[in-house]
Order: sequence, then C-alpha cells, then structure tokens
Amino acid sequence: MITTATIFIPLLGAILVLLLRGDERLVRYAALGVAAVPLLLALYIYLAFGDNLDAPALSQELVWIESLNIGYRVGLDGIGFGMFFLSALLALIAVVASWDIRENLGFYFALLFLAEVGMLGVFASRDLVLFYVFFEITLIPMYLMVGMWGDENRRAAAIKFFIYTFLGSTAMLAGFLALGVLSGTFSIPELGEEAGGLSRAAQIAIAVPVLFGLLIKVPAVPLHGWLLDVYVSSPISTNVVLSGVLPKLGTFGILKIAIPLLPEGVEPFLPYLAVLGVVNVIYGAFVAFLQPDLKALVAYSSIGTLGFILLGAASVNAVGYNGAVFQQVAHGLYSALLFLLVGIIAARTGTRRISELGGLAARMPWAGGLLALGALAAMGLPGLAVFVSEFMSIMGGYTAYPVQGVLAALGIILSAMYMLYMLARVIFGPLREPAYERVGDAGAVEMAAVVPLAALLLVLGFFPALLISVQRPAVEAVLAAIGGS
Amino acid sequence: MPELVATGSLLVVLLGGVFAGPRNEALVSGLAALGTLAAFAAAAGMLAAGFSGTFFGGGYAVDGFALYFKLIITATAFFTVIAASRWAGRTGDAPEYMTLVIAVALGGMLLVSMRDLFGVFLAVELATIPSYAMVAFDRRRRESAEGGMKYLITGVIASSFLLYGIVLIYGVSGSANLSRVAEAFGESLSPVAIVGLVLMLSGFAFKVSAAPFHFWTPDAYQGAPTSAAAFLSVAPKAAIFAVLLRILLDGMPQAAPTWTALMAVIAIVTMFVGNLLALRQSNVRRMLAYSSVAHSGYILAAFAALQGEAVPAGVQAVMIYSAAYAVMNLGAFLTIDLVGEEAKSFNGLFATRPALAVAMAVFMAALVGIPPLSGFFGKAWVIYAGVGSGSVLVYAAVASLVVNSVLSVPYYFGIIRNMFQEEPVSEGGPGKGDGGVAFTVYAMAVLTTLFFLGVGPLAALASGSGLL
Repeated sequence: MITTATIFIPLLGAILVLLLRGDERLVRYAALGVAAVPLLLALYIYLAFGDNLDAPALSQELVWIESLNIGYRVGLDGIGFGMFFLSALLALIAVVASWDIRENLGFYFALLFLAEVGMLGVFASRDLVLFYVFFEITLIPMYLMVGMWGDENRRAAAIKFFIYTFLGSTAMLAGFLALGVLSGTFSIPELGEEAGGLSRAAQIAIAVPVLFGLLIKVPAVPLHGWLLDVYVSSPISTNVVLSGVLPKLGTFGILKIAIPLLPEGVEPFLPYLAVLGVVNVIYGAFVAFLQPDLKALVAYSSIGTLGFILLGAASVNAVGYNGAVFQQVAHGLYSALLFLLVGIIAARTGTRRISELGGLAARMPWAGGLLALGALAAMGLPGLAVFVSEFMSIMGGYTAYPVQGVLAALGIILSAMYMLYMLARVIFGPLREPAYERVGDAGAVEMAAVVPLAALLLVLGFFPALLISVQRPAVEAVLAAIGGS
Repeated sequence: MPELVATGSLLVVLLGGVFAGPRNEALVSGLAALGTLAAFAAAAGMLAAGFSGTFFGGGYAVDGFALYFKLIITATAFFTVIAASRWAGRTGDAPEYMTLVIAVALGGMLLVSMRDLFGVFLAVELATIPSYAMVAFDRRRRESAEGGMKYLITGVIASSFLLYGIVLIYGVSGSANLSRVAEAFGESLSPVAIVGLVLMLSGFAFKVSAAPFHFWTPDAYQGAPTSAAAFLSVAPKAAIFAVLLRILLDGMPQAAPTWTALMAVIAIVTMFVGNLLALRQSNVRRMLAYSSVAHSGYILAAFAALQGEAVPAGVQAVMIYSAAYAVMNLGAFLTIDLVGEEAKSFNGLFATRPALAVAMAVFMAALVGIPPLSGFFGKAWVIYAGVGSGSVLVYAAVASLVVNSVLSVPYYFGIIRNMFQEEPVSEGGPGKGDGGVAFTVYAMAVLTTLFFLGVGPLAALASGSGLL
C-alpha cells in the first residue's frame, strides 16, 4: 500500500493545484506541500526497510486484465529504489525551481505531478504493461511543459521529443506484448524467475525492439537527435526532471527488464551496448566541448555520463551492474544541479553564451562554487557520487570488455578538459561585462533547490554504501538468475 | 429484446413527431433518449443474464458477442441523441433526426446478430439508408447535401458489390446460412467462391472506409451535421466489423488463409492512406475523417491476425478496439461542434475554455494511443493478437501499425499544440456550447480516461462471447 500511495499522491496533488486556481501563493505552497509527501514516504521506506526492499509490505498486486494475466503489480527493489527516491526528490526541487513561473502556474504543477506519477510508477512497476503505461504517462506532461513554458523554439522541440520517444516506446510495447504472450504472464518477477525460458531466437526478436525503444529514451548516440532541442528549449525546472529522471526510464528498463528478462536475447548485443556506452562518453565529451551555449554543454555532458550506465549494464558483472545502478542516481543529482545553476546564472546575466560570461565567481561565490562542484562531479572527481559509479562501471566494463573499459576511462579525461575549460571561462578570470558588477548571488529559494543536490553528491560520494547496500541484493539476484558473474 | 425496445421507441418517436407538433421538440428528444437507454438496458440485462440463443432457423443469433456490440451501438446512439437534441430542436426537425438515429442503431443491432447473408444485406441497408439521410440532413448547408449525395452514390455501389458477392457465395454453397456456407466452403476454394469473397469484402471495405474505397469518407463527414458524423463514424462501423467477424469466422473458417492475407494487405494500405492524407488536412473534421480511415486500418489488422492460436485475441482486439474507438472518436467529433472545424479555431482554446481543451487533448492523445487512455488498449490488443499470429504478413501489419501510430502524432498533436501553445484567434473565443454536446464531450472524456478500469471486465466479456 505504501508504494501505491507514494505513486498516486502526486495525482491527488495535481487535482488539488487545479482546484486552487487563482491564488498563486496558495498554489505554490500547496504544490510544495504535496511534493514533499512522496519524498517523505520514500525516505520512510528507506529507513524502515533498509536493504530489505523486497519486503511484501512494499508490494501490491491487483488483477487488472485477467484473461491476459496483466495486473497492477507494484513493488520496490534496490535497482529501482534509488531512482524512486530521486524522482520524488527532483519533483520537489522542480517545484521550488518553478518559483519564477507566472503563467498558468497551477496547470504547470499539475503536469509536473502527473509526470511524477509516471516516473515513480515506472521504478516500482512489476508488470510489463503497467511499466509501459507509467513509461508513457510522462510523455504528455513533458510535451506540454516544454511546449508551453519553453523558449521560442519550444514547439518544434516538444513535438520532436514526443515523436522520437513515442516511436521507441511503441516498438518496445510490441516487444513486451510478444514476451508476455509467449510466456503467458506479464509479471516481471515471474518472468525473471524463468529468465530465458523462451528460445534464443524468440528472445533476440523481442530484444531488438525493446532495446531500440529503451535506447531512444536514454538517449544513446546515435538515437539522441531529440535531446538537445528539448533540453535547451525547456524551462529550467522541467530540465531538472527531464535530465534527472527521464533518461533513467530507459536505463532502468535495460537494467531491470531487457537484461534480466531476455538474457539470451540481449547477450549478443552486450558488446555493442558497451561500445554504444563508450561512444556516448566520448562523443558527449567532444560535442560538449564545442558548445557555445552553457545549457547545451551541460546537455551533452549529460549524454556522455549516461554512457557509463550502458557500459556498466553491458558488463553484466556485480561491479559494473552496481555501478550502472548507482550512476543513474549520481547522474540525476549532478545534471539537475548543473541545469539549475545554469538557470541561475542565465537569469542574473541574461545570457547563456559561454563566451559572454566570465569572472562570475567574484560576484556570486555560492552559485559559482556550486557550479564548480557540479562540474567536478561531472568529471568524476573522488569524493563525489559520480566518481564511485563511474569507477565501478569502468572496472566492471574493463573486466568484460577491456578495450571499451580503457576507452571509457579516456572519456573521463576528456570530460575533465571541457569542464575545466568551461569553469575557466564562466566563473574565473576577469569580469567580462561591467554590468556583471551588480549581479547578485543565488537567492534563498534558489539555494534551497541546489543545496540538497550538492549535499547528496557529497554524502553519496563519501558514503556510497548508503545506496549500494540497498541495491546490492537486487543486483545479485538478477545476476544469479541470468547466470552472470 | 433490445431490438424490440428500439423498434418500439422508433415508432414512439415517429408518432411523437407527428402528434406532438413542432412545439414539443424537447419531448421527442427525451423520448428518443429514453428509448435508446431502454434498449441499452435491455441488452445489458440480457448480457448480465448470460442469454444466448439462435432464432429463425439459426439465421439470427443473440449471444454475448452480439449483445456486446448492441451495447456499443445503443450507448453511442444515446449520447448522439443527447448531443443532437438542442441542434435538432432548433432546426425544427428533431423527430425526423431522432428517428434516423434510432433507425441506424436498429439496423446495426440487427446486423450484429445476423447469421444469414441475405439478412446481413438487409440489415446493412437498414443501417445505411437512414445514414445517407443523416449526412444530408442539414438543409441549410450546401456541403451537407453534397456529402449526402456522394455518400449515397458510393454507398449504393458498395451495396451492389456486397449483394453480388453474397449471391455468388450463395450460388456456391446453396444456402445463405453461415453454418451451411461453412460446410460448403471446403478445403479448396472454387474460383467463384473467391470472386464472391472478394466482392463481398470490397462491399464491406466501402462501408468501413477501408482503402482504396475510402474516398467518400471526408466529404460525407465534412458535410454531415457534426453529431451525425460522430455517430456514423462509430456505431455502424462497429456493427459492420462485428458482422464481418461473424461471417468470416463462422461462415468461412477454411478460407482463412485467403481472407487474412487480403485483410493484412487492405489493413496496411488503409493505415498509410488514412494517416498520410490526414497529415495534410487543415480542417479538423476532414482530419478526423481520414483518421477514421486509419483506425479502420488498425482494426483490419486485427482481422488479419485471425489465424492459428491468435483467433481469440483477434476477436477480442476488434471488440475492445470498437468500444475504445467509440468513446474517443465520439468525443473528438463533438468537440468540433463546440469549437469549429478549422484547425485555427482551436488556437488558444486552453486559455478560453480550459476544460474543453483538456478534454480534446485527452481524445487526441487517446487516438494516438497513449496509455492509459482508451485508444491504447485498442492498439495494444491488435499488436497482442498480431504478435501471437505467427504470420509474417501480420507482423508486417503490426509493424506498420507501429509506424503509423508515430505518423499520426503530428496531426493529432497539431491540435494539442494549437490549443495549448498558440494565442487565441479572436478575443471572445468560442462561445458556450449547448449543454447536451458539452455533457457528451465531458462524459466521453471521462470514459476515455477511465477506460483502463473497465478493460479487464471488457476483455473477460469478449473472451466469453459467442464467437469463441
């Protein structure tokens, strides 16, 4: 019950903020209150259940479509919990970061909450069809949030985003239905127990559309065509969920569905998945380096670090898989942090062009310092969460695919180059514009949005066991079921 | 018997129109609404009681399958009557219009029970002849008469195809009763039987606006009064899909390899034609007309899957798709009544009438197939049936369903973009619509959204129906 409650409380919140039309202040505080609830519940789940997230109290099963054995089946485990928690956290932060939105505020929050329902639902789904339903529920709110509150390019960006991911997910649905039909159930745990029950040929035929759909969502290069426009056009608070959670719907699908349920079908593709991961890392770093726009730079850096998830997943060993699961959360923390800071800087200076910025550290020490922290996180500096997961992904990847592992490690150097370059241009050096003299530091509301992310990056960097202890049993169970190491 | 109830209410409405005079339009509409509701209740009652039986020497079957479609037909008729009441009342022709709606519904109800090919033909005619009149009903608009004319001519051609095909099949099998037809259709098909089958399918293809016989659709739906277009795009089509299922599965199971192949090809062509043409429309009504062509294609893909172990799933797909499509398309069409038919008239609707804009967005998203809205389950079931069929041609149909769903995104989402992301065209914006239409639109929006709650029972109903 508690899982279901966590998933659907935002839905009630969406209705509430729609009913409270008119009084903007009231809507804001109501949204804040609503968004806090799932986070508190997720925190409670973590504290009460620890590494026993498989506990029956957290799962629920209701008959939905009996004749096909499709059910409303939800439950948590370590692979999904990190993202479950992060979704709730980022939704709350997105509410805070929407403080400056004026137009149709209630509707914006309603869409945000609807998207939150989908995101929480995906990470807790234990049924393929339910997974797909939650996966898709995020689409329309995201489309409208970008399309209504984004910049001048928003319409084209929104529809591009929609078409890409809808194409992928419809193909994925066909794969899911085939898997369910051939196996006689859509229950993910049941399918996992008999992992690979289908013939190898059938598994491969199903794995192709499923991986295609999930990789579009990640997005893995070369399926990333939708990403830049959407990230750049979105309002900042949408970016927070867009980059923090949405790509993980894809990676989570790979970690939780594609590999565990179709082990033999995915197996021939694993080396290529690792290659894709490396391509993401290196391509992301190179292209980020060339971006004149700070937000675009963050977007490409985000593509790059997602590559480590693919590499870790493809390794199918305990170190790599744990790294991939951990990297989902770490990536969400740092990319949301960087997008928020880009928003703060752009709001102060009126530009996102890297060449027009400079010397901001003197005027805005807090924002500048946190930007440096985020950038260091993106490079994978020890002591920050990303280091842990990237290191593990590379270790695991190296064990399975030495060449790819080495190349991915090279990617870290590349990312250090462009991030340091960015920092040098944006916050260090002399003040580029005299007008920046009057620029103030991040305000209280803005700090409230960014500080928790920075804090978590540090906490998980120093105490990765907080998360790894939770996810390890689930990862081990998956690897045991599919016969990995 | 729901048919008797419907016939009764047909008479009552007709007489009501004669005797009550022009002042009592509301009364007549009310009677029509009550009549359709009573027919719905009768069908629901029989379904709940598990009624099943055949009449007239096996030529007329009242089983779960038929009752299920009778529910869809009577429900859409009820909502059409509600939505049309004010409009029909204003023109002073409420009794006539309501009579036509009920007559079409009655034809459809008879059709879904027919197990006799000549009975099928008669019921098809009973369902379509009043529909020509419905299309041409709006005397004050020239397009209405034009659309009606076009519809009539193509409809008559279709009927002759249908009749000719039926006659040939009758000639081969010596009987029009489906059980006997099935006996006569042995392992090998005679050339005459194939010609008959193709002609009959062509006739049906006309009626469900499958390519290449779809060209009447946009003109008819554009000319027709909105409620008529909404109703005709949903109820008679569902009935025809139902009877087609019955004919093919009951009457010619041995010929399945032939007609599933034919259906797969028609389905693929229909999807592409419908979507590619819909993409080019700036008139929402025409866009929805072509979209209905595309949706016929999706349903026909389920027909193609009616082979091997996938037969039950295919039947379920047609049944669930019909229900899902009824709620979303009825709502989408009727929204035009409140807003206008040019795509531009939807501009900024969210600012002027947010609830209506959200309802329309729900219909558009449902037509695309976004879960958990109704259209998703229709498409998912077709895919489900298709992947279970084990035929390469059907896989191709499923793949083109996936591709076409994506192709349809731009035009459905064009409307959403106009409503949410554009500035309102004129100050004022669209006026307040009349209560009946608005009520139906919101009712359909709710049903479309909550469809997922009912899909389980619906599937159970479908798998327990008489055809399986």
